Amino acid sequence: MKLYTVKNQVYNDRVVVADDMILTTEHPTSAGSRMLEGYVSLIGSEALGCLTAAGYVLGGKTQVGEFAIDLVGETSKDGAIYKDGKAVNAAACVLLADEACVALTLDVNGSVRRAAAQSGLCSVKPTYGTVSRYGTIPVACSGDTVSLMARNTGECRNALNVIRSCDPKDGTCIPESMRNEKTAPVKRVAVIASLMRDVDAEVNRAITAAAAALTDAGIEVITIDDSVICTSRPAWNILMCAELCNNVSRYDGVSFGHRAESFSGIDELYTNSRTEAFGDLLKAAVIYGSETLSANNYIKVYDKALRTRRVIVEAFAALFEKFDALLMPACSTMAYTEKMLKETPRLVFDENLYTAPASISGLPAIVSGGIQLAGPAFSESTLLDTAAIIEKGGQVI
Amino acid sequence: MRYETVIGLEVHVGLSTNSKIFCSCSAQSYGAKPNTHICPACCGMPGMLPVVNRRVVDFSMKAGMMLNCTINRVTTFDKKSYYYPDLPASYQTTQWFAPIAVNGFVEIETSAGKKSIRIKQIHMEEDAGKLIHDIREDTTHIDFNRSSVPLIEIVSQSDLSSAEEAEAYLERLNILLRFAKVSECEMAHGTMRCDVNLSVRPEGSDKLGVRTEMKNMNSIEAIKRAIEYETARHIDALENGTEVLIQETRRWDDLSGKSYAMRGKETAGDYRYFPDPNVMPVVIDDAWLNAVRDSLPEFPEVKRKRYIDELGLNDYDADQLIKSIALCECFESAYAVCKSAKDAVNWMTSEVMSELNARDMTYDMLSVNGETLGKLILLVSDGEVGRANGRKILSAMFEDKNIDPKTYAEQNDMIVSHDTELIEQTVRTIVASNQKAVADYKRGKEKAFMALFGQCMRELKGNCDPQTLKTILAEYIADL
Amino acid sequence: MLMDTETLRKLELLNQLRLTEEQKNSVLAFFEERAADEALLDAVDTAEVKPMVHVMPVMTVIREDIVSQPFSREDIQRGAPETDEGYWCVPRVVE
Repeated sequence: MKLYTVKNQVYNDRVVVADDMILTTEHPTSAGSRMLEGYVSLIGSEALGCLTAAGYVLGGKTQVGEFAIDLVGETSKDGAIYKDGKAVNAAACVLLADEACVALTLDVNGSVRRAAAQSGLCSVKPTYGTVSRYGTIPVACSGDTVSLMARNTGECRNALNVIRSCDPKDGTCIPESMRNEKTAPVKRVAVIASLMRDVDAEVNRAITAAAAALTDAGIEVITIDDSVICTSRPAWNILMCAELCNNVSRYDGVSFGHRAESFSGIDELYTNSRTEAFGDLLKAAVIYGSETLSANNYIKVYDKALRTRRVIVEAFAALFEKFDALLMPACSTMAYTEKMLKETPRLVFDENLYTAPASISGLPAIVSGGIQLAGPAFSESTLLDTAAIIEKGGQVI
Repeated sequence: MRYETVIGLEVHVGLSTNSKIFCSCSAQSYGAKPNTHICPACCGMPGMLPVVNRRVVDFSMKAGMMLNCTINRVTTFDKKSYYYPDLPASYQTTQWFAPIAVNGFVEIETSAGKKSIRIKQIHMEEDAGKLIHDIREDTTHIDFNRSSVPLIEIVSQSDLSSAEEAEAYLERLNILLRFAKVSECEMAHGTMRCDVNLSVRPEGSDKLGVRTEMKNMNSIEAIKRAIEYETARHIDALENGTEVLIQETRRWDDLSGKSYAMRGKETAGDYRYFPDPNVMPVVIDDAWLNAVRDSLPEFPEVKRKRYIDELGLNDYDADQLIKSIALCECFESAYAVCKSAKDAVNWMTSEVMSELNARDMTYDMLSVNGETLGKLILLVSDGEVGRANGRKILSAMFEDKNIDPKTYAEQNDMIVSHDTELIEQTVRTIVASNQKAVADYKRGKEKAFMALFGQCMRELKGNCDPQTLKTILAEYIADL
Repeated sequence: MLMDTETLRKLELLNQLRLTEEQKNSVLAFFEERAADEALLDAVDTAEVKPMVHVMPVMTVIREDIVSQPFSREDIQRGAPETDEGYWCVPRVVE
């Protein structure tokens, strides 16, 4: 069972672990792929630098799924980790074992949120552009967000305050002056009916418990429906795979990373190196993404997804005129079993129903008590307050 | 059957910024050791993010303005994907959807007269690395110094119709871009590269023939040769069926004087362009646009006319100056100080240009301060320093920009002496030890006088007004 | 999106990958699995809508033209697959 790619023997109450999408200069970063086995970066994560400057100590690196596009980390080159028959995330395990107070992660395709929900932990995916992506492995750059996972909202909040500064080395980082912090407390929360349709009993219970905790605290929880927000899934799958395809094309065996032992000619160097080093899910996503960008498909598929993104963002803006937050599942089930993963290896593209809305729009999403809360841009603080209510009322699984 | 040639040119121009387009590595690495101007970003490694270099946008706007284009006020970057060892990330960041400048033109002049060549667009992009194939057998060596160096690509409409026109067009681009100081435009250094798109059709037809693209021409002469060869090849194919023309990219081989089809993969060409999410749109507001517009130089022909009409220069001298903006600027500053256009241009076209040639510098590399030159010109024209010594001071100014001509002349004993007693004494000394020359001169040999004159001048270290010396020498000898 | 074995072969070449028969079948299945979802996008009215590449407000981020080179060749080529005299090496490419 490989939780850590590297573990430092640190004893400190401010230990942070970084997942293997976060670049570190002192330790290798593999992004969960054979392609980057043993790769030591010359540059380190800006966000991690902020944490260590604020007194946190790096306790180690935790393994991730290959380029973090999977469900919870099960496609790691080091193999899936199972606990009680279900696939678990390495950083989540480290937190549950109390070996770190917070995990610094990269939310590429929702794995951090699913892991947090299934492990009863808290996670924060801040508004896109509020935390520097400098020093992270790029996958789906229009949505990749440096995120945090911890045992409770308090630890998440502390770490978030440290990492959310503007960095001129990241061209998508929003200047402080343009960050309109939401301060008004959450009063009305929406639940989207179509997002509740296919979840199992456990997830249903978690949502119900969360709704009850909110209602007890005087917050209105209202079920509505919305068809636009559900189109986040196909649109995000397209954008994510296309950007992934482009971002992993740099791994070609030429100047760094895995190079095949045998090849004859440059084409074989490329093909053998990439074929040997990439796993099944990644290859499938790369091919899918590549096709969305082909001359035939660009307008009707990729460009269509970009336009749909705008429609979704506008739909969220309209929703957040009437509501302060959206309460929704982070996944359809609290356990991805080995059998499930074997039978539906590309399940993540279906599970994206719940995580794609926040991924595609860049809106903040907090996970607590097994559920996900999304809000308008720059509302992390009030969402955390709301999550704290659920935390107190709900049960840690 | 008579045919006409239809040519479009894609010219890549290397911008003379200090740093690369998306990272802070030096963009000026010509002649440097391999891979000494690189960072993780321009080597394709993950983690660093592209941040646009302001000066790349400034220079691209300037180029657009010099070529009469409309500047796109919101311009974006896109990714173009393909695998090749000189491309470290297997994609090039370029502009596909919203290039910086569109719909321009340049006027060219050939033996057939004037013609306007339309420019479709100018876009910003990053260069690839360099491949070297002949260091070791079976190996290609890669140098990423040039990777991510900023380029603009200038795409013309297919308005050109001959090698002569292509040459005129390239020379026009060259002078305008060097004038705007956005590039050194030197084909030998690779800061100006040109691909030729060519097709042929019966004269008067409005249907386009099969188009071929040619690469690897390293000089304007090679481009002309390539155009002529390819035109002939197309015509031969159409008239005599020697081959079937297909739309393809061909490599020009100047040694053999032929073009060859390049090997290509069947899927080559699907570059899968899509917008780069890491680079925010560059929004050019009025203030920025106007600042760039205000920094443009006068066009060469405007300067030429002004020099001739207002400053009284002759055609030849004006043409010499407009070869380089550096010459013009130096001339104008010098003129402002010395107030004589005639003297200023005289110094520019003789002393300054020979100094540049002697140092193997291009005219654009001139960095002598024009005002200081003006001061030097006055020193000489006022008779304080001899012309020969003036040349030496100019040479010293090339070495050290901070030199003040008068101070330098004083420190180096170059100030012309008006001390007639010293001159008379020198004349007496030289004449006394050159009796034969004196005798020769008295017998009618003019040369002997010049020899005596020369010796006196040398003795006086050139610090003497020639006319004064001649008079004193002649009078002294006459009295003997 | 439609997918067939011939197009799949071209995609392999384009992306420098070689799939096993099993992987090919998986990928074909993948395309089929996503088709229904993709059809949902057709129902979204995007006729008057511009593509959205960046989710956050537009702000031009730019840097000054200053050279800074903190990394040496040795640093960057550390762990490289093959280098020679400061160059990276690959099998000879014919142009």
